[in-house]
Amino acid sequence: MSRLLALLCTALIALTACSGSSAQSGPKTLRMTVWTANEAHLKLLNEIAAEYKAAHPDVTEIKFDSIPADGYTTTLTTQIAGGNAPDLAWILEESAPDFVSSGALAPIKAKVEKAEELVPSATKLWEKDGELFAYPFSTSPFGLFVNTDLVKDLPATWDEAVAAAAGKNLVLPDFKYQNWAVLSAIWRGWGAQAWSDDGKQCGFASAEMKDAMTFVHKAIFTDKAIPGPGTTVDFFAGDAAMAISQISRAGALKDAKFGWTLLPLPKGPKGDYAVIGQAGVGVLKRSKNAETAADFLGFFTNAANSAKLAQFFPPVRQSLLNADTLAKSNPLIKPEQLQSVVIDGISKGVVKPSHQGQEELNQTIRAALDPLWKPDADVSSVLDGVCAKIKPLLERS
Amino acid sequence: MTFWTYRRRDNLVGYLFVAPALLGSLAFVLIPLGMVGWYSLNEWNVLGGTFEFIGGENYQRLLADEKLRDSLVATAWFAAGLVVLNLTLALLLAVLLNQKLRGTTLFRTLFFSPVLVSLVAWTLVWQLMLQPEGSVNDLLGLAGVDGPNWLRGESSAMVSVIVVQVIKNVGLNMVLFLAALQGVPAPLYEAAKIDGAGAWTRFTRITIPLISPTILLTSIITIVGSLQVFAQIAVLTQGGPGTSTTVLIYYLYQQAFQFHHFGYGATISVLLFVIVAALTLVQWRMRRKWVLHES
Amino acid sequence: MSRKVWLYGLLCLLCVPFVFPTWWMVTSSMKPISEIFSESLLPSEWTFSTYSTVFKMQPFGQQYWNSLYIAVIVTVGTMAVAALAGYAFARIKFPGQNVLFVVVLTGLLIPSEVTIVPLFQLFQSLGMTNTHWPLIIVPIFGAPCVLAIFIMRQFFLALPPELEEAARMDGLGRAGIFYRIALPLSRPALGAVAIFTFLHSWNLYLEPIVYLSTPDMFTLPQALTQFVDIYGGPMWNVQLAAATMTAVPILVVFVVAQRQFIEGLAHTGVKG
Repeated sequence: MSRLLALLCTALIALTACSGSSAQSGPKTLRMTVWTANEAHLKLLNEIAAEYKAAHPDVTEIKFDSIPADGYTTTLTTQIAGGNAPDLAWILEESAPDFVSSGALAPIKAKVEKAEELVPSATKLWEKDGELFAYPFSTSPFGLFVNTDLVKDLPATWDEAVAAAAGKNLVLPDFKYQNWAVLSAIWRGWGAQAWSDDGKQCGFASAEMKDAMTFVHKAIFTDKAIPGPGTTVDFFAGDAAMAISQISRAGALKDAKFGWTLLPLPKGPKGDYAVIGQAGVGVLKRSKNAETAADFLGFFTNAANSAKLAQFFPPVRQSLLNADTLAKSNPLIKPEQLQSVVIDGISKGVVKPSHQGQEELNQTIRAALDPLWKPDADVSSVLDGVCAKIKPLLERS
Repeated sequence: MTFWTYRRRDNLVGYLFVAPALLGSLAFVLIPLGMVGWYSLNEWNVLGGTFEFIGGENYQRLLADEKLRDSLVATAWFAAGLVVLNLTLALLLAVLLNQKLRGTTLFRTLFFSPVLVSLVAWTLVWQLMLQPEGSVNDLLGLAGVDGPNWLRGESSAMVSVIVVQVIKNVGLNMVLFLAALQGVPAPLYEAAKIDGAGAWTRFTRITIPLISPTILLTSIITIVGSLQVFAQIAVLTQGGPGTSTTVLIYYLYQQAFQFHHFGYGATISVLLFVIVAALTLVQWRMRRKWVLHES
Repeated sequence: MSRKVWLYGLLCLLCVPFVFPTWWMVTSSMKPISEIFSESLLPSEWTFSTYSTVFKMQPFGQQYWNSLYIAVIVTVGTMAVAALAGYAFARIKFPGQNVLFVVVLTGLLIPSEVTIVPLFQLFQSLGMTNTHWPLIIVPIFGAPCVLAIFIMRQFFLALPPELEEAARMDGLGRAGIFYRIALPLSRPALGAVAIFTFLHSWNLYLEPIVYLSTPDMFTLPQALTQFVDIYGGPMWNVQLAAATMTAVPILVVFVVAQRQFIEGLAHTGVKG
């Protein structure tokens, strides 16, 4: 029975290969999966693609497939499993270790224009054995957005920030009591880490983490500064005093009816720090047009196009990382804010936690942290519980 | 007189009539199911593109998987809660609508209407209404009840998922029960009344036995359906808080599609198939015991 | 008298969870986003801009058409396949009948999540991803059709044999009996099958997400999840406007035709 099935599988896989092989010569088409469906984003992407096609007549089509951000990696993986891998794909920072280490991506360093000027801290996540496997097209530091109508004295430390936000809401728009990795924007200030740099040791039970999470718990349930689970407060509509969010969100404040400013993350007990979120774009090794795809990626991310993309996605090219250049594409943010939050943030920032098998870790940690989001939670024992749960997962890799 | 006797022609027509369904089952059910069985014997790394035969390893893992045990417990609670609540409510509504009252058609329409609202829309709406400051707690507030944070408490999340699903689909069972109730001959009740049987006795001794075939059918459909509830969990709780609402189908989805363990996901699929098949078989076997006049 | 008052009271109370969500969906779609969580039953100011936003953000008209035409083809196709198979399994005696019926019934037991990967590979190999074919062929011939076959079989089982005897005397062949006698009689069961099938296709969620990749191919349930701002945050009032547009037409059709609708459904399953 199983031999018959194996045969059938082989036949199916062979069939897949046959039907696709005709595309190798002649006109080429490229498909890139993205998680944005935003008109302005897609317009820019299509403009860049049109320019490339004009210069390369053999490439007849470059298509951007919008997959909902929610479940993006899942859908992408399903397509790959089914034999329908895109030629290029946006990749979330949290899936970076999985994609880079699995060998699913083709090396691209040779195609990247002036690869030596990329900020090293920003490319680390996408490298293996000195080769680059995806281009970090968006590197977005976390900052503290402040509604200056509600907060007069700008906070410099976490204690000040929570005191100023008490009863007036300090929101973390992406957290939703699910995406725990966003909390790294806070706990780094205490010197805490989700896991050690080599990814083997759990960091949740450390003294630093316990202090940081006790602070967060108190800010939610005692100080009433951070809105509790299930409460929706929108900073960008003017309902909150402060928000911890990525700089790329500043665009949502274009029509803001309140005064606002952008500050670097407040100082924690361990002083200054910065945390960044990233997105990379890579070429799938299994693409029939991997060569062409890598070539397009080189064009997509060259200095000129990076400058265009910078209006939505903060760049990692040193030549673009100065307040003057960034100010051109980010009219909403003042040059000194760009310097302190974006430029300093990108050069000294740590990327949000990511690990091989990230999605399983995500779900496990999310579930293990759930008991923490109650007023009477025992922070220390919950965090010990997180480590107990994820230890086998960290050791597996 | 010829080869084509009536019987032979009849056979041919029979085969021709079932051919589309049969070929469809083969292509879209049995062969895919066989392939899932084959995947379950392999370690399939989707991203790396490796596919390796590992024999029964995934099945050993299945036996040792603590999360799977939690998930089976959650599944049992979910299925039990759903079936009991759904059938009770459906029967209650059907009995109420079977009274001689004006306007029952209107009420019937209202109770049935959620069946027609698209599932994603329905779940989306409830997700917003179940927030701590959402409409559900506002309504409870009118009655002086201080509602919990529904989707964040372990048992309240389970209750929420069940209730949302029951309200969505109870209309179907209600209609089936209503038709069955209307098929119960009125003279039986009259006779029982004369014998001095109260309303409750009449209900348990006459109504329930006479509509037992419908109870069987609806309970099979509802139980099998309860093991396939996916989108609601995905939108409302994502299996949380903790793992309290991670039912088997959601766990399967997580393993295969989110954690990229396709081989292990296939193994859970096989388990799910076995459970559904066994449950259906047991119910079908039991029908002779508790269903009156099964032909 | 007081019994009636009690009954009406109970019915009205029970109605609340059934009616309120739809009411809330429709009214909230016309509220400014800041009022979504307010306690008011009606918007403070009615805005219809959410409705035009729906069409601006997505090719919503095209998506509506996609869902509609797929559901109609699937419904008609399923009725045909299920009527033929249901009739044969119920009324014709042929060798291997029971085994074949059990084979077909397997489909009833398989959640679609289980077979989605092999099916995806199949359609990928046929070059049919990002087309509507998988959403049409699989429901008509595959697992979703099995419930329909089951309903039709139960109905035909209950058909009095005398009718067919008489037709045979009149010289009608099998196909003739099916087409002229059995099929016209099975209208209530076919109605139920049509309703089940249409709703199933209309609600399909996982399959479109897996098979379809461009917005102009999307179906409605999938489109509903696409109304997000630049940063992936949901735009609730726009989502609710889109949800309202998917739900209300079906509800209106139902209210108009509800007698046939419910009585059609009621004819299933009670017999046999």
